[in-house]
Amino acid sequence: MSERRAHRVDAMMGLAVAAAIAAWWLGSTRLALDHGSDASRCADDALQALLLVRVMALAMVSVRVGALRGWRPGVTSGLGLIAPSWPVVVLAWSASTRLATHVALAEVLLLTACVVLPLAGRALHRLLQRAEFAVISGTVLGIALAAASWATRSLWYLPSP
Amino acid sequence: MTDAIAQPRIDLTATPAWNGWTRPGRATEVDIRLSADVATRATLDVEAGRQVVHAGVDIEPGRVVRLQVPIESADTVVVSAAFPAAPPQRRDIRIAQSESPVLGLGLVAGDTVHLEGFHTVALDADDLPRNASAYASIDALILDAPTLSALDQRQLGALLVHAAECGRIVLLNADLPVRRVLDGTGGCGGRALMHAASLADAKAMLESSLAANRVMATALPAIGELARPDLVAWNRVLVVLAAYFAVAMLVALFFSSLPVLLLVPAFATVAIPVLLNFMQPSPQLVVWSEATSGAQSARYQAWQRVPGLARGGVRVPVLQQLASARSCDPTQPMRFDFDAIRGHATFAEFDTRLFRQVLLCYSGSFPVARALAIDARPNGLLQVRNTGSIGWPHGMLLAGGLVHELQALGPGDATIIDTHAGKPYRDTWARTAMTRTPADGAAALWELELGGVADIPSQSNAWLLVSIPPP
Repeated sequence: MSERRAHRVDAMMGLAVAAAIAAWWLGSTRLALDHGSDASRCADDALQALLLVRVMALAMVSVRVGALRGWRPGVTSGLGLIAPSWPVVVLAWSASTRLATHVALAEVLLLTACVVLPLAGRALHRLLQRAEFAVISGTVLGIALAAASWATRSLWYLPSP
Repeated sequence: MTDAIAQPRIDLTATPAWNGWTRPGRATEVDIRLSADVATRATLDVEAGRQVVHAGVDIEPGRVVRLQVPIESADTVVVSAAFPAAPPQRRDIRIAQSESPVLGLGLVAGDTVHLEGFHTVALDADDLPRNASAYASIDALILDAPTLSALDQRQLGALLVHAAECGRIVLLNADLPVRRVLDGTGGCGGRALMHAASLADAKAMLESSLAANRVMATALPAIGELARPDLVAWNRVLVVLAAYFAVAMLVALFFSSLPVLLLVPAFATVAIPVLLNFMQPSPQLVVWSEATSGAQSARYQAWQRVPGLARGGVRVPVLQQLASARSCDPTQPMRFDFDAIRGHATFAEFDTRLFRQVLLCYSGSFPVARALAIDARPNGLLQVRNTGSIGWPHGMLLAGGLVHELQALGPGDATIIDTHAGKPYRDTWARTAMTRTPADGAAALWELELGGVADIPSQSNAWLLVSIPPP
């Protein structure tokens, strides 16, 4: 796959994730408004979901791309995944009770993961020498990281003020 | 020594209404007296629960400035005053919260009466509030003639509003002119306002009033349906996000350069909140009022809805023609700017966020002149007659569980309505009116013009429901 086509696919994936969570958030918010309940809970959940889903997607994609195509393509691939959600993050924060500093910190951590995870893939490539082993190992490591993120999701919940 | 001489002497006292008693979740009042030996300006803050009332007061030497601030019930009310050239002062007031209904007893002779299940509070004339909303703290009141005559104009005004709002009051040996005034304003057909010749009579009347069914007080949950949630903000966010995803998708289809693909979400992240801030939705106002046919006043509740589009503080003007402004949600932190001269709140400040709908509540009464009589005719016909002295506009008649068109009628005019020709209306206002009308009774419903209310929100609705007692 060419680099330009890969950018496009990553951006489409990022948009799909953002659109799915935005649809779920707006749907649950509409129900909350219709029932006169607090819509901020829906926004809090949407922020948490945006963080969790993007962390898992990053873990699965960035390590593998880093192992297969190097650090720079891995970073651009991660950026393409997380950036399309930013407008939804800003709107969900605006409707939520979460502190701006916590949400900003979560985005900074995601950006850091964008940089670090492809490095791990690249390191695997160098360690194992053979590209096919590196890709398989990168994929397995990415899935393991995503599973660990899911299993420990209660530990890194964005705290309420 | 020099400092002690230079500093002005300031006296601050704060006294709660009802001799310091209220009930949980009810409104009450604090009477604040402030004086100084030099001319100065004070900044007063009255903190009760999560609500703060803020007022600026000019003090002249030797004159006592007095203001009565309506507050939400709280165990402790903190009154603090700051001065430019003197240390700040603070008074903590304890307010007792009775779990039982409260009976206020304003008797000069000091007699007492015990009503089963009630907590009795002895009152002086000065313990009675100047804000009608503070009457929410008590459930029944007995006043004798000397106490009544010792009330000042504002106290009398608040008492009249309370009587119009169907407050349960027994007047002991009241003078004839006072009786006439109060009888004229008494809401709920005057059934809640009673006159007694002795304390034993007063007790018996209250007991019989408590035992009898009374017209339902306007209850927020019953009327809440009228104040439907505002979906403007939700619709705007939906449109804005749909536009963003459409543009981002098109860009992703036609451009594959990473900077371009990143530029779209980065630009949208900045632009969308700015765009929403420029599209602030206007507040909504819903007023629901009720009266009985022939009554001189109608009581009302009003809800001013302020929809949020962004996180941050909002400052909303309090509608001056509507009384007893307060937050509908006592847990919502809110600060009111209080006009010490006019004695009411002018602005409300609170934090909001996207999709949050903050409600300001108002309640009070206004003069009304709608009187109608209904006579049943054969074949399911009703003759509706305007028995009042002025005409009424086009409205609705609710009878037999159906809604009928009620044409405009001049004084003394009558119209015939076929009860079979009614419609089972499903609109929220008609449904609410139906729930407020006894099954065997009838009521007329009119939409009111709110042209006289200053700063009225563009989206405003007001209704007047006049109930007609069964013949």
